[in-house]
Amino acid sequence: MYLFANATIYVGLALAIYSLLIITLGISTKNQKLVNSGKGGVISILVCASMAMLSLFYLLTTSQFQYEYVSDYTSSELPIIYKLTALWAGNSGSLLLWTFFLVLYTVMIAFSRKMKGNPMVPYISAILLGNIVFFFLVLGFVAKPFVLLDQVPIEGHGLNPMLQNPGMIIHPVTLYLGYVGLAIPFAFAMAALILKNVDDFWIKMTRRWTIIAWLFLSLGNIFGGQWAYTELGWGGYWAWDPVENASFMPWLTATAFLHSVMIQERKNMLKIWNIGLIITSYALTLFGTFLVRSGVLTSVHAFANSNLGLYFLIFMGIAVIGALYVLMSRYNLLKRSAGEFNSYISKESSFLINNLLLVGAAFGVFWGTVFPLVSEAVRGTKVTVGMPFFNTVQAPILLSMMFVMAVCPLLAWQKSSLKNLKKNFLIPAILAIVAMALMIVLGIQKAWAVIGFGVIVLLFITHFLEFYRGVKARRKMTKEKVYLSIYRLMTKNRRRYGGYIVHIGIAFIAMGIIGSQNYDVQTMKTVNLGDSIEVKDYRINYERLDQKREGINDIVYAEMTVFRNGKRIGNIQPEKVFYGNWDQPSSEVGLISSLKEDLYVVLSDWEDDGKATFIVKINPMMTWLWIGSFMIVIGSLFAVWNGKYQNITPRYTGVRKEVS
Amino acid sequence: MKKNTIVMLGGFIIAGAIVFLLMAATPGSSGIELTMNQLLENQEKHKDDFVTVEGLLIEESIKWNQDKIELKFDLKDNEGNLMHVIHNGTRPDNFSEGVIVILQGAPTKKDTFVAETVKTRCPSKYEGEDIENYDPEAHKKLLDQPPAETDQAK
Repeated sequence: MYLFANATIYVGLALAIYSLLIITLGISTKNQKLVNSGKGGVISILVCASMAMLSLFYLLTTSQFQYEYVSDYTSSELPIIYKLTALWAGNSGSLLLWTFFLVLYTVMIAFSRKMKGNPMVPYISAILLGNIVFFFLVLGFVAKPFVLLDQVPIEGHGLNPMLQNPGMIIHPVTLYLGYVGLAIPFAFAMAALILKNVDDFWIKMTRRWTIIAWLFLSLGNIFGGQWAYTELGWGGYWAWDPVENASFMPWLTATAFLHSVMIQERKNMLKIWNIGLIITSYALTLFGTFLVRSGVLTSVHAFANSNLGLYFLIFMGIAVIGALYVLMSRYNLLKRSAGEFNSYISKESSFLINNLLLVGAAFGVFWGTVFPLVSEAVRGTKVTVGMPFFNTVQAPILLSMMFVMAVCPLLAWQKSSLKNLKKNFLIPAILAIVAMALMIVLGIQKAWAVIGFGVIVLLFITHFLEFYRGVKARRKMTKEKVYLSIYRLMTKNRRRYGGYIVHIGIAFIAMGIIGSQNYDVQTMKTVNLGDSIEVKDYRINYERLDQKREGINDIVYAEMTVFRNGKRIGNIQPEKVFYGNWDQPSSEVGLISSLKEDLYVVLSDWEDDGKATFIVKINPMMTWLWIGSFMIVIGSLFAVWNGKYQNITPRYTGVRKEVS
Repeated sequence: MKKNTIVMLGGFIIAGAIVFLLMAATPGSSGIELTMNQLLENQEKHKDDFVTVEGLLIEESIKWNQDKIELKFDLKDNEGNLMHVIHNGTRPDNFSEGVIVILQGAPTKKDTFVAETVKTRCPSKYEGEDIENYDPEAHKKLLDQPPAETDQAK
């Protein structure tokens, strides 16, 4: 087994190097046979990577503690699902997962039906193979997953209890799919530049792949937020932790790209900017990995300190310099034939503002993340940049972005006339102002909340009008029933309406964020058995404190009955878990959610006589955050889905080469 | 190209606004990280700062008042400094002798640090760690590292 598992890595490395060389040779000698051989090589690399994954899964599930990785991250009594997820609990295992996804994507592109006969394929494959070679080198020589120990331990160290959570099953997987996915647009961009061809086909394919990566990145962040929300000590659903920032930055730049590429599609402008965004997004994923694996910043996510980060930094440097070189050498080509703005008030200009805001937001996050390092190097004092910094910087930027998002559907491409604008804008604006006045009357009086909710109302109205007008225009011609009309309208313009669904989802998320950040209530109380805690409309009866045993873990839990306005709404059981093989206990919160607010109770401390201390939080509108997240997923899936009307991929119109 | 130029100009204004926002927010929202030595020497100077400081916990000094929800304890470092800490909150998990405690808050009173957050740190992070091999000395070594680097940077 040891030989086999290690062989998968080294054979994979050899095959990756072989395929890279043979494809490059095939391209330069225009020999289709060599290129085909390289493509076949990609398949065999996938076989190797899959075998490596299966080997590690097998070793983990059968608890073969003679392997360092297995004994470091699992123990024999661990539930089977967490034995499997331990594959991405540590450095080398998670990099193996990353490699596997990268190879998987490469195969999908090299053998894609849409890309058949396309001369970009060998270039894209070669660039991705370069990445694959790097990862196999890391797996083979730096972070080796299959290392035998000198002595066979009787028992493993076990998985950190914080990682024993359903979030562990899905959050890392989706996040890695997103991270790895951003390598694909990068490869497309580089291939297009090398071939001197940035046409409709390139835009369409790159957009698709970016949406897919973007979707997974969003999912990864959402699942991460949900997990952090229920895990005490991680600072809520979003704490601006360096590692969270590392995945938020490429998300922002990828979002910017998805919008600005539309301008390129219509007006042939911003070509350099767009390629810059793709390169930045890709580089940021590597930079994020460098942050997580090097230990230069303290973070809840940090892996063990190692020099692994350094390799990522070097690889990032090579990739960025290479990309910039290609970009510079094709500069004239991109510069030529750019369009021009016709009007200041148009969709184009709103997209431009949106791009500046998104990139500005990304820069703000970047600044806050690296500022402690910069300050230490320049001034010698180590500073900490906390949540207040990020909140003050990001709130105005993201709020202005919401505003642009709200106004954008009302603006026409090319040029909006003032008359048109007035007609479109007057009613939504008045309604939004009425809504804001109503909020103030009803007691929402914090400036940020009123402005924020006002913008959200505006966004809902403009997006509603967009659907309403589309359906009205359609029904005039077709006389369809309303629902059928909505359905046909949307499926004929998947990209557009998918985008709108995502916008509405973002608005819901913003609602959740504004509500929970501005109107949360938190108290801490020590009560005797049988007494109750009263917070806002809630009365929480503390009825019982008991202990139970689950496997090798001891659990202390409190039983509480919750009443709202005198009506019983349910039971909660906040608990503290003491692990058999881990000296740090962890808290499981008791949670009751409703559309209005979440009740969040933590059992913090107790005495022998049953007197206990609880932390009680009321987080308003949290559910909307999750509803919005769900809509983002639906919207992006809707946009990339291959419908009846969307099956036309623009014909490749670039240069013809002999190999494909 | 005229309209393009004006649009570009508008872009620069937005970019400038964002940079201004960053500059305005940077000093106010960030705190400083000090060693216990640095903090105790210049306590007056840092009275209004948001300070992050690390120290080793002395277990016997922990006083936990459940009814007032007030936690008092002392921290020491390797140079023999001692600091009293008050925290209006509960004990963190794993609050035992020699563990590294990370405090955030302000040294408002003489020799007393009022902590807004109290966190503990283990050298193992997310890597597995044998409980039998658990070694307070390892913590001490770790505590020494970051300050040493800071001094060199000066």
